[in-house]
Amino acid sequence: MKGLIENRFGLLALVLVVLGALYGVAFVSRPAPVPPKAAQKVKTAVESVSMVCPDPGGGRLSVITPPADQGAGNGGSGAATVEQMKGGKPLATLDKVGALWRRDVPLRTRPVTVAGMGAAAAGLEAAQTTRVTSGALRGLSGVRCVEPGAEAWFIGPGPAAADITLHLANSDEAAADVAVMIYAGEGPVLSDRGNGMVIKPGEYREVKLRDLAPSPLVMAVQVTTSGGRVAAAVRASLGEGRGVDWLPAAAPPSTRVVVPGIPGSAGQRELYVAAPGEQDAVVQVKAVLKDGSYALKNKETVEVPAGSTTTLDLTTGVGGQAGALVLTADQPIVAGMRMTGTGSRQDVAFTAGAAPIDLGSVVADGGPGAKSAKAGGQQSRLVLSAPFGAATVRIRILPQNGAPAAPVEVALPAARSKEIKLKPPAGSGSGFAVHVTPVAGSGPVYGGRVLSEDTPEGVLLTVQPLAQARTWALVPVTAEWPGAVLP
Amino acid sequence: MHSVTAIVVAHDGARWLKETLDAVLRQSRPLDRVAGVDNGSRDGSGRLLAEAFGQGSVLSLPRSAGFGEAVHEVVRRLPRAQGQEWLWLLHDDCAPDPHALSALLRAADENPKAAILGPKLRDWLDRRVLLEIGVTVGRSGRRDTGLEPREYDQGQHDGPHGVVDVLSVSTAGMLIRRDVWEELAGLDPVLPLFRDDLDLCWRARIAGHRVLNVTTAVAWHAEAASRRRRRIAVSDDHPRRLDRRNGLFVIIANLPFLALVRSIFRNIAGSLARTVLFLLAKQPANALDELAALGSVLGRPGRLIKARRARKKGRKQGYPAVARLLTPPGATWRRLADMVQRYLAGEGPVDSAGRHHAAGAAEDDGDELLTDSGLFQRITSSPGVLLFLLLAGITVAAAWPLLTGGGLLGGGALVPVTGGASDLWRLYTENHHVAGLGSDTWAPPYVAVIAALSTLFFGNTALAVSVLLLGCVPLAGLSAYVATRRMISYTPARVWLAATYALLPVATGVIATGRVGTALILILIPGYVALATRVVAGSRRAAWGFGLLLAVGAAFDPLVYVMVAILGGLAAVSFGGIRRGVGLSLGIGLGTPIVLLFPWLVEIVREPRRILLESGLADPALADPRVSAEALLMFNPGGPGTPPVWVTGGLVAVALGALLLRRHQTVVAIGWGVTLFGVLLAVVVGRLGEWPGVPLAFAATGLLVATALTAHRIAEFRAAGVMRRLGALLIVVVAFATPLAAAGLWIAGGAGGPLRGDLRDPLPPLAAAFSPRGERTLLMRPEGGRLTYTILPGRAPLIGESDLRSPEADTARVGAAVAGLASGRGGDDVRTLAAYGIQFVTAPGPVEISLQRALDSEPALARMSLSEVGGLWRVVGTVTVPRPPAGGDGWHRTWLWAQAALVALVLLLASPGARTAEQYDDHGDAPEPARTSRRRPRNPEERVPA
Repeated sequence: MKGLIENRFGLLALVLVVLGALYGVAFVSRPAPVPPKAAQKVKTAVESVSMVCPDPGGGRLSVITPPADQGAGNGGSGAATVEQMKGGKPLATLDKVGALWRRDVPLRTRPVTVAGMGAAAAGLEAAQTTRVTSGALRGLSGVRCVEPGAEAWFIGPGPAAADITLHLANSDEAAADVAVMIYAGEGPVLSDRGNGMVIKPGEYREVKLRDLAPSPLVMAVQVTTSGGRVAAAVRASLGEGRGVDWLPAAAPPSTRVVVPGIPGSAGQRELYVAAPGEQDAVVQVKAVLKDGSYALKNKETVEVPAGSTTTLDLTTGVGGQAGALVLTADQPIVAGMRMTGTGSRQDVAFTAGAAPIDLGSVVADGGPGAKSAKAGGQQSRLVLSAPFGAATVRIRILPQNGAPAAPVEVALPAARSKEIKLKPPAGSGSGFAVHVTPVAGSGPVYGGRVLSEDTPEGVLLTVQPLAQARTWALVPVTAEWPGAVLP
Repeated sequence: MHSVTAIVVAHDGARWLKETLDAVLRQSRPLDRVAGVDNGSRDGSGRLLAEAFGQGSVLSLPRSAGFGEAVHEVVRRLPRAQGQEWLWLLHDDCAPDPHALSALLRAADENPKAAILGPKLRDWLDRRVLLEIGVTVGRSGRRDTGLEPREYDQGQHDGPHGVVDVLSVSTAGMLIRRDVWEELAGLDPVLPLFRDDLDLCWRARIAGHRVLNVTTAVAWHAEAASRRRRRIAVSDDHPRRLDRRNGLFVIIANLPFLALVRSIFRNIAGSLARTVLFLLAKQPANALDELAALGSVLGRPGRLIKARRARKKGRKQGYPAVARLLTPPGATWRRLADMVQRYLAGEGPVDSAGRHHAAGAAEDDGDELLTDSGLFQRITSSPGVLLFLLLAGITVAAAWPLLTGGGLLGGGALVPVTGGASDLWRLYTENHHVAGLGSDTWAPPYVAVIAALSTLFFGNTALAVSVLLLGCVPLAGLSAYVATRRMISYTPARVWLAATYALLPVATGVIATGRVGTALILILIPGYVALATRVVAGSRRAAWGFGLLLAVGAAFDPLVYVMVAILGGLAAVSFGGIRRGVGLSLGIGLGTPIVLLFPWLVEIVREPRRILLESGLADPALADPRVSAEALLMFNPGGPGTPPVWVTGGLVAVALGALLLRRHQTVVAIGWGVTLFGVLLAVVVGRLGEWPGVPLAFAATGLLVATALTAHRIAEFRAAGVMRRLGALLIVVVAFATPLAAAGLWIAGGAGGPLRGDLRDPLPPLAAAFSPRGERTLLMRPEGGRLTYTILPGRAPLIGESDLRSPEADTARVGAAVAGLASGRGGDDVRTLAAYGIQFVTAPGPVEISLQRALDSEPALARMSLSEVGGLWRVVGTVTVPRPPAGGDGWHRTWLWAQAALVALVLLLASPGARTAEQYDDHGDAPEPARTSRRRPRNPEERVPA
């Protein structure tokens, strides 16, 4: 030891040995790389849902909370109320989960709010369907009751081509400051009249879009609030013998839009595409039909000038075939479609870009009861598409009376569509609702429900794109972290 | 014909007496008679006197007898002699020059009116230093020699004919005519020590005699009593107090009435002002003496009246002759200006000129950079300042985007810096915090440190944090340069050490990750080293300073304390036996942080993992748990802002080379020991997933010091042959490669990282405007697949608030509600949040679409704004913030006061002005440098020979 210290190289050797040992320890103890763990969102039952049916008068109103078969809801109590706005007395209080409530509502009924809390909220769905067999408003028209929000998009014919009414309702406790923006075929309509509409809590209002912009033949409408929320819906009445229907809420601008629920019946098919951004959009159009997915001949692309809406006639492309359209663009777009029935007096129906129904979808008005269907009345079909990957969906019919039918599983091959006829089960009373759930592992599923009725003068038609059910919410992983103040 | 009687009064002065007696007996003009008085000496002074003068000429008096009393006793017994009789008064510590007496008598012959003559006094130890050429006094009783401290005698004050007319001369070597002595009744026994000479000479002047200082006569004086070289037996008071009291007494007793009234008012005001100044200078003992002296003079009016009555004769008539010789009134202002100048120059604010120990202005620490040359010369001549400026330039170049960001500084571990010093002080002292969901935990002590720093920066926390964090490189360099002053004499080595230390990978990492605490620790570590070398030498004062600095470091990172404690324990084992007092000093150094941080340390000990956590946000992304083994060995802690591993290669290579030198093997071995210990700790800390910056900084410090200590060998190499000269050049190039490469890479890569200089206030202005009563705002930020959130109390968070904990139950409830709100499930979530006083929900932009939908779909929330910057939602309806629980935490308040008092006490004990006793010793009997004498344990009382 003494020799080691006195030697010139002794200390150096000692230090090198210790350094080597430290290196070894540090090297051995170096942990293996940990792959970043993706935080998994957790499904939770929705606890509160409210919506507004914009104008149910003269039609039938359907409200349902689907049964909590997969553990949805906490099994606790909860009720849904259906009442007219402005202090009308409740039309109904529903506390039975899984039972369809359907009633024909008298004319001149004010907008109806449907609100559910607790167990009655998970998946609460409402829809209004109106059937008029004569007059200017002849046609079958239906709309999914609207959840209030801060933004809504609609796309369809313009005020010059149809009588367009914008229904705005505020069922919240805060006033809503609403602005309406119209993108016409020639570009955005610059007008102050669409701005600064204040809708007080509990108020509703109908706005004729002709007053805001009289000239557009086609249009996309953006309803936004700078404060509060509003339930917006648009009804388009094309005039005597041309039909009437509600424009379904379209998916907000995105570079990929799927327009589902195109019925397999004959009739005109006209695509509307709007590019609300600052740049012209080049849109590729592909149809997803029963036998596959392909671009339509001579209609592969549409060019949409910035801030405007364009139409493309696809009657020769997808007419008579059930399916969906997949639009991809270099700029965010909004898309929808007008479909007409056949006959001497036509009816019109609209569909629009929709989100996939990953967590399932409920259609409150699945169709009329067995009696009505047998009598040659309304027919109900589901058009389901799996444009991006094979999927299996479970379809369950929830009749007004009687036990729910056993679910039916339908396989959708990738990039194919299927049209499924919905048969009302026995004892379904005046109608039924439909609950569509993709089986775990499925690709994105899009769809629509088509109601049609053959009349001597022509087919009556309405389409409701399937929307994500308000059953589940995805709870993100949250963590309290004071560093959240830093970008 | 003169007849001179020398009277030597001794009191415990054997140390000087022998030389004094030799000098007296060897006078060229032989003495006619000699007399010795022994005032009860215990060191054999009496025997020495008897040996020199013969038993019959020595008188023994009790210990309590003063100088005047002793002379009186001799004169009373002294028979009359022929001719003009003179008394030559001598102290035991005053050795006259062999020709002193003849010179004095010659002057007496030439000036027949002269009744009192005194020699020029020089210092006993440094024989060239002037002590007195006569003494005068100001109207405030302030003694004034008219000399600069430590002025060498080059004849510059000598009179034209070898004599100077003065107000008074010292009793040391005073030659006085016996008849005058008897006429004036001699020295006043009321003044047993100090100023008795002044009083006597004043009375002589008034009586019409001349008082002369004969500059051709020289005596060397040790001033043993006033410098506390010996214990004063006539009084228990400190000589300083005695001096001040007697000075006041003489003034009051001798001034005529009008001048007296003016002087009394002036003295009271002056004393109070000086007391305040002394307190500011952390010299409470001086302040106390000042007040006590004033009190004891004015408090005994009987004695004053008696003294004035005795001096009544001729006082008014003789005053003009005296007033001429008093300190002119303007001198006070000149002195004040002098004092301020000295204070700015880093010396004590109270000057010592004119005091008895004027020669004792020992140089103190930290004055190297503050030498009294001009500013320009200082800058161009001090390598430390140049290095600081260079490093500051490098920092500005690297951190330019941060400095010019135009927003708030923040990122990494640092929340955007908002608020002022008062906010931080309130955070530190309040019992209930509004941060988060409200918290009752005590704020961590580092908040107080940052608050104190902010106060120094005029309350601007952002400026204080910026200077501390971004200025960490130049400040660390400067501190390393200054701290090694005592250790390393070779300046290039110090420059290299400071530059390398300042640009360590740890330093750049600290800045990039916004670790303010570690930045401060980096600046402090050289101070630890410098103080530690004095602590292990047993210095008590350094120990207090060390303890205080260690407490500051440990408040930011408890790991600092653990490391220092382990090293301190090792030092105690190895040095404890060598020097006395080392154990106690180490105990003070290591115990002070525990006492100062006590309640917080208890919390830390309860959760040992927090030992590894530094202050600020504990973001795991800032540390790299997979930092490679070679990086750790190269002092590179990994994480953002650290350079490539090879940068420190030069340092390690040179340090390994230093191991080959034989001469400094112990120092190098200790340095490498610290390094290996630090690296080991860094490996442990790093593998536990925390940032190993602090242990690596310690490790690098050990290596740098060890290497720089041996660096002067390079200079020797240069003087040797060509091969050696080439070798030296190579070593220098390799050594300087490290700081140069680090600086270059730093400038190229930029100082930023997670740290940014362009942050916005996280609370939207709209929310801030509508939160008059501290309504809270929930801030949500999706990050890496999960949603992080925090709750702001109506303002941006402050530094330190992230360490507060809210009650667990509340946190869990709010956490569930936030998750529910973000999912958009509806329900009671907003109501739950509102119950906690949350009025706003904000998400910084661009807001994720799903989050925006979820918030928009919530009926109880109304959107206020949404843009690229972010979104803001308001809870509908009014929200009331829950009131904090009533009633204060008495224990917290008590502790805060106690902590403040303890910090003040430690500051007092650590600061240079606190222990003036050391200064007296520093130029004491042994002619050794102050530095070495300070290292020895001492007790001033012990050193007086008993």
